[in-house]
Amino acid sequence: MNTKLKVSEISKIYPGCVANDKVSLEFGSGKIYALLGENGAGKSTLVKILSGVVKPDEGQVFLNNESIKLNSPLDAKKNNIGMVFQHFNLFETLSVFENLSIDSDKNDEDLRVLVNDILKKYNFKIDLDIPVLNLSAGQKQKVEIIRCLIRNPKVLIMDEPTSVLTEQETDDLFISLKQFSKDGILIIYITHKLKEVLSLCDEVAVMRKGKVVSVSNTIDEKIESLANKMVGENLNTIKKKINNFKNSEEILKISNLNFKSDDPYETNLNNLNLSLKKGECLGIAGISGNGQNELFQILSGEIITEGTSIKFRNKEIGKLNPRERREYLMAFSPEDRISQAAVPELKIYENVALNNFKSSNFFEKGLVNERKIKEHSKKILSNFSVNTDNVELKSQFLSGGNLQKLIIGRELITSPELLVCFNPTWGLDVGAINYIHETLIQINEQGKSSILISTDNDELLKLSDRICVIYKGKLSKIMNADTVTAEKLGILMGGGSID
Amino acid sequence: MEVQLIKIEKRNDVSRSIYFLTPVLAIFLTLFGGGIIFFILGFNPIEALKFFFITPISDLYGLSELLVKATPLCLIAIGLSFCFKSNNWNIGAEGQLIFGGIVGGGVALLFYNHDGFYVLPIIILSGAIGGMLFAMIPAILKTYFNTNEILVSLMLVYVAKLLLDYLVVGPWSNPEGFNFPETRQFSESAKMPILFDGLRIHAGIFITLITVFLSWLILYKTYLGFQIKVSGLSLKTAKYAGFKGKTMIIIVFMISGACAGLAGVGEITGPIGQLHRNISPDYGFTAIIVAFLGRLNPVGIIFASLIVALTYLGAETAQIFLQVPKYTGQVFQGMILFFLLGSDYLLFFKIKFLGLKKNEL
Repeated sequence: MNTKLKVSEISKIYPGCVANDKVSLEFGSGKIYALLGENGAGKSTLVKILSGVVKPDEGQVFLNNESIKLNSPLDAKKNNIGMVFQHFNLFETLSVFENLSIDSDKNDEDLRVLVNDILKKYNFKIDLDIPVLNLSAGQKQKVEIIRCLIRNPKVLIMDEPTSVLTEQETDDLFISLKQFSKDGILIIYITHKLKEVLSLCDEVAVMRKGKVVSVSNTIDEKIESLANKMVGENLNTIKKKINNFKNSEEILKISNLNFKSDDPYETNLNNLNLSLKKGECLGIAGISGNGQNELFQILSGEIITEGTSIKFRNKEIGKLNPRERREYLMAFSPEDRISQAAVPELKIYENVALNNFKSSNFFEKGLVNERKIKEHSKKILSNFSVNTDNVELKSQFLSGGNLQKLIIGRELITSPELLVCFNPTWGLDVGAINYIHETLIQINEQGKSSILISTDNDELLKLSDRICVIYKGKLSKIMNADTVTAEKLGILMGGGSID
Repeated sequence: MEVQLIKIEKRNDVSRSIYFLTPVLAIFLTLFGGGIIFFILGFNPIEALKFFFITPISDLYGLSELLVKATPLCLIAIGLSFCFKSNNWNIGAEGQLIFGGIVGGGVALLFYNHDGFYVLPIIILSGAIGGMLFAMIPAILKTYFNTNEILVSLMLVYVAKLLLDYLVVGPWSNPEGFNFPETRQFSESAKMPILFDGLRIHAGIFITLITVFLSWLILYKTYLGFQIKVSGLSLKTAKYAGFKGKTMIIIVFMISGACAGLAGVGEITGPIGQLHRNISPDYGFTAIIVAFLGRLNPVGIIFASLIVALTYLGAETAQIFLQVPKYTGQVFQGMILFFLLGSDYLLFFKIKFLGLKKNEL
């Protein structure tokens, strides 16, 4: 039977952000559709609307020309729309079969027959009676897929399914998806990996900033053309003056950085090497989840890796924790400003005390010197134009922009030689973004260095002297910012290579 | 079928005064609930509550007994507040109390023939060290082997209890004691000085008060206290700030265990005067309620320990005058915790009724 799925003029507005802006797309069974876009392009919102998790503000969804209401995930199930999320929703201690039977209305004998048929048909090799925790990531994903297949789906939506898979598992998945497609299931495949789009999908819709910017057949596309569409050609060209750092002193050198995580949702880092000169800003681009988090934590000392050499101003600091690194004049502004860089329940001056360094005398002989901390906090509030002078205010009452100014101020007021920041402007309004950008340019002008890990390419091109891309835990070669174009970044971010 | 849809939302800001008033509300609700229980049992609820909460402290002896019971509860709860504030769930204070008692008692027996001012301080110190070492077991297992401290500390309670059982029945039992499961009475120099003739209140109360003051100082005025506070609110931030997480876990367990050990040694050198099977009426577990009723705040814990101590006394009076089992005290302690958690939930979350909807499952 033919299935037609159509979304028409879908809009969804979150406070301060248009997630979907009049999105209209049509899908038909027998094909695999790619939904391609950067972080925050609106893919996930659209998928959540199709699976009933989020209600659109405007617009309609049609299944076989009939308008359907998707008010809850239950409605999606009833309309035979199946969804496999990036993070699995399985009970680890229950067996595979128990997991499948939980939300099935069939009795156990019928279900077992049905599941065995599916296993045989698609050549899945999974033991139904072992606990899920003993399965590999790929097998867990198959259990999720089987859970959808039990309900005879017309539409199957896969949200970035390969992020936790090995290469071999990815190949297996693609074979299965092609088979489903042959059997008449409409497949929507959400990804930001360009190669996957070309090797798996028939049609590709590219989203950017909440809008669909292009729909085309993948035969007509190349990695370059898709990268261009994904990142956008019309980039802000205001850049800071790029300097030549040939003769500057080297301030940071990292060699042979390897990191292997036990957590399957974390990214392993492979043989990272980089160096940074005095006064330089090194930008690290990439789509989130490619190892930025891990890299930041290794730079800040939250993760200590064995055998890695991190030389900062000719001293080996690889084994020091974040506090000890601050003593050597490093500063860190993490991505999660709300629950990591500051604690919302703490007062402003208490949050300032988190950046405790020797010369600050915040704590003398182990005792809190509240007067010192408050004086210091007042200075930060005024120097970095945070719109309050009340250091007793709990930081949960600061807006995102003011909180970020407070954090950057706290980190910079000690005149560090290196600032490492990770997505310093996400979710901020234009005014705050400009302020942060100016501040970051200023510190470079004062001869201090910075590393900017960001998923915002405009920001990277604006602030960096040199840029590289992190993809699947590997760094691309480091390029001078004036030779980098949005297209090049897009290709590297999607896993392609350039020469 | 139509169902009522309910949504539970977190409240944004909870005022500080209401935060400290909810425990008082919980106590009133407990009184109310207790009244209902007494009514169902066929008593006049007002009379029964009077027997339970007023009669026990209507004379000097009663007040002294109240302080005798509140002393260990307050001490243990203060120690536990260090753990709970930093997100470490030490449930085994009872075991640390017993182990502190065992070590302190052992030293007391060792000094059986000694007289001198130095005997008691040595016993007290060894009791604190005993409790501290016992608390370090779950802490070290947690930091180096990733075990769950709730399970380990809880299970160790039974280890300590059985060890005490073995000692008082076997090697440490009183040679002249006709095989009763108890040790000798400690010598006079191994006992806490009594403060007033004829009353049981002893010098242990000063240890508790000094500990409360020191805890306040540490928690609110030192770098260690700041680290404990931050770790309790956000472990991610603590890691980012470079606090030594593992060391801190061990330190808070050590403080907490030392307090419980002190409480244990205070009991055996104070009101009990020897080791036997039941040196604690579950003070270590009840102190968990005290700690939360006092909002993990040193001053709050002082008040909470007095109130919870009263449930112990009330249960004894009620047993005599109303012929109800003394376990009624535990019913009241349970109710306090129940109502406190209940009101806390409503304090931090609001419940929204979204109206009726057809159930389509």
